[in-house]
Parts: sequence; structure tokens; C-alpha cells
Amino acid sequence: MENRYQRVLLTLLCCATLSVQAQEDAAQSPLEVVRPQVERRDVRPAAIDRQDFEVGTFAGLLSIADFDADLVYGLRGAWHVTEDFFLEASYGLSQGDQTSFEKLSGGAPLFEDADRDYTYYDLGVGWNVLPGEIFLFGSRALKSDLYLLLGAGSTDFLDDNWFTVNAGAGYRLLLNDWLAWRLDVRDHIFDRDTFGEDETTHNIEVSMGLTVFF
Amino acid sequence: MLSAPPILWVLAGALLLAALAAPGAALADAGVARARVVDAYIEMRTQPGRGYPVFYVAERGEEIELLRQRTSWIQVRNRRGIQGWVHEDDIARTVDASGEPLALATASFEAYTQRNWEFGLLLGDYGDTDTLGGYLGWHFTRNLSVEVAAMENFGDTSDGRMLTGSIVHQLYPRARYSPFFTVGWGVRETNPRSTLVSTEDRTDNVASVGAGLRIHLYERLFLRLQYKHYAVMTDRDDDEEVDEWKIGISAFY
Repeated sequence: MENRYQRVLLTLLCCATLSVQAQEDAAQSPLEVVRPQVERRDVRPAAIDRQDFEVGTFAGLLSIADFDADLVYGLRGAWHVTEDFFLEASYGLSQGDQTSFEKLSGGAPLFEDADRDYTYYDLGVGWNVLPGEIFLFGSRALKSDLYLLLGAGSTDFLDDNWFTVNAGAGYRLLLNDWLAWRLDVRDHIFDRDTFGEDETTHNIEVSMGLTVFF
Repeated sequence: MLSAPPILWVLAGALLLAALAAPGAALADAGVARARVVDAYIEMRTQPGRGYPVFYVAERGEEIELLRQRTSWIQVRNRRGIQGWVHEDDIARTVDASGEPLALATASFEAYTQRNWEFGLLLGDYGDTDTLGGYLGWHFTRNLSVEVAAMENFGDTSDGRMLTGSIVHQLYPRARYSPFFTVGWGVRETNPRSTLVSTEDRTDNVASVGAGLRIHLYERLFLRLQYKHYAVMTDRDDDEEVDEWKIGISAFY
């Protein structure tokens, strides 16, 4: 019993001293005359319009091995990762005409028309190896790039998909800050076994296009 | 000659129209970021590239507008209307209107370790066949990311397409050579070649485990080497097990 009284008294004593201490603290703290208004600085990345992507269309001629040279057209997009390198994807459509044999023999065609559709996509890396400037009428300077391309993709032709390696070069001329004119020459190389044995075919494409930077 | 599908011509036309209609000047005025030079000077080049000539230097105290950015170069304009391209490292040393250093995310190794998105092209060997494709990854912590990959492979007897999702764990996100482990799942479509006796196309589920290495090259570019082991869950008695080795070039955003 005595023990309990002691405990209660001690607790009360503790509380009393603590509250006195708290009052003293409050009295010592200086009066708040001016409430400091520190605005939190909002750290945001500067709003600069980034233009690293380039998309556009192209059209040209594709010389398909054993077939004619035919119209090719498609879409092309690039991501300019650094000033030197860009990642690029293309999708193109064309059609193989009759082979020389089919024309000369005059017999039944070897392939159905639907199988002659030539569609491809390729993914690759471009290297702006020769950046330059073109001077127009002495007063305007346009940026130009001569680039090399290396990539791989898939060609759907004669009812099969073929693993295709792409190599080429191109020229890009920026007509203003965001519109570019492109000239591309590329070789689509793939092994084809349509005529029995495996043969490596080179399918050369020459195309022009317009692209927009955004 | 084939008749071009109208959709392409429409696209090309729309592109040209958009190009001609979008006024370049309108872009410049709406909420342009501004900066003030605090270095002794910064060099302005005629075009975005380190090889282009410096034609003007903006001096300390000069105010510049930041018009647009292409790769590591920022097009700026001063009060006298002189326009040129400045490297982002130089812009990062300027200050904003309140005198604080301009907050600018430059393509540094630091930014690489803090990346949120990455994208890459992959090329390699899937069970002794050529394979290629692309992937997109999103980092939700510094160590963990989710990835979606679309791959195509080309064999002598069949070719196939695969769409997979994976979780990727990198052990040391701040390392230049950063190893990672991955588990994934997805679907695979296999098409036998037309030169063979026709068999049905088939679609199977796949699961994969793998490991690899990311190597930061410079600025936004890095290399990616990876190995994956796939289990293709076919309808037949045995599942197919396939090894895949790939090398890729990736970039982050």
C-alpha cells in the first residue's frame, strides 16, 4: 500500500516539474514578429521542346533479285539518341513482277500474284558519319548529314519470311528546323531457297523521303 | 506497278500539310524557357554538332531563350535575335530568372542511373536460328523494371514470332557494367516454312529465365548482352527447351 502512495506521489511530482519546465521554455522563446515566408522552390526541368524523333514516308525503286525493279514505298522513323547515332525502323511495300524466265517461256506463271507482294521491316542503327552544311543562295545555311546504316529485319516475299540484313548509306538535308529531305540507298541481303537451293540475294533500294522532326 | 494503298498517300499528304501549316514562330513565343549566362561566355554554333563553327559568344549576364533541343544541343536566341546552338552542358551552367542553376536533365551517366524508360534493338541466336526484335522497359525502382519484347526468328524448317513480358532485376544500378537477372512469360507463334509439307501454324505459351549485362557506352547509349532459356509449352508430350543469346543496342529516356 505504502509503495503505491509513493508511486502516485512521485508521478505527480514528475508531471509538475515537467509542466513548469515547459512553461519556462515557452517564456524563453522569442516572440514571432514576422512569420518567415519561404517559398519552396519548385525544381522542374526547364521546359524545352525536345525534337529527337523523326518520322516520315519514302518512295523509290527496289530492284528485287531475279525480278524487275519496282516501286517501293513505306514509312520510316528514327530516334536520334546522340548527335552521332540514331536508331531507325522502316516498313516498306513493293511487288515482284514476272521473272525473266516467266516472260521468255510464256508459260504459266510460277507464283501467284498474292505471293509476289514484297513487304519488309528493318531495325537498325545509323551513324551520322559526315555532318555538314549546305549553303543556299549564299545567305542560308542548311544542316546536312551523310550517314551509314546497318540493320536487320524481315522480308515477306514468295510466301515466306526471310531474315534480312540491311546495309546502306543516306543523305539528310534539313530544309528548316523540323522538316528534312532524305535520299537513301540500301541493300537488303537475304538467303532465299525458293528456286531449290539456298542463294544469297541482293535487293537494292533507292528512295527519297520527307521526314518531320518532333 | 502496284497501286499504292491510299492510306499511305493520305499519311504523306497529312505530313506535308502539317509541316507547311505549323508556324515555326508560334512555337518560339509560347512559354519559352529563359536562362542567363553566368560563365565568362558560352559558345553558339551554327548547327547542332560539335564540328560546326562557333559564330557568336554570349557573354556573362546575357539573357537567352531556349527554343528547342535536339540530342545534346539546345537552340538559343539572345535579345538581339541571334540564334545558334549551345551544348547542354553549357546550358546546365546557366541560371534561371530567380538566379538558381537551371534544372536541366543532361544525358550523363548520372541520368543513365536514374533512367525511367529504355528502348533497344536486339539481334542474336534463338536455338540455332537468326532472331531479331525490339524491347521497351520501364523502371519502377532503381533495381526493378518491367519489359515488353517482340521478337521474330527465322529457321530452316519454321519461323516464329514471340511477344513476352519480363521482370528484370539489376543488382548494381550505379555500375557501368551492370548485370541483371530476368524471368518472363509470353506467347509464341510458329509457322512452318512453305517449302515443306504444310503443317498447321501453332501458338504456344512460353516461360523464360535469363541473365545479362548492360554496359553504358556514352550519353544515352548502352549495350546489352543477354542469355535466356525458354520453355515452349507445346501440345506434344515434351516441351521445347530453347537457348537464346542476344546482343543489343539500347538507349534510355
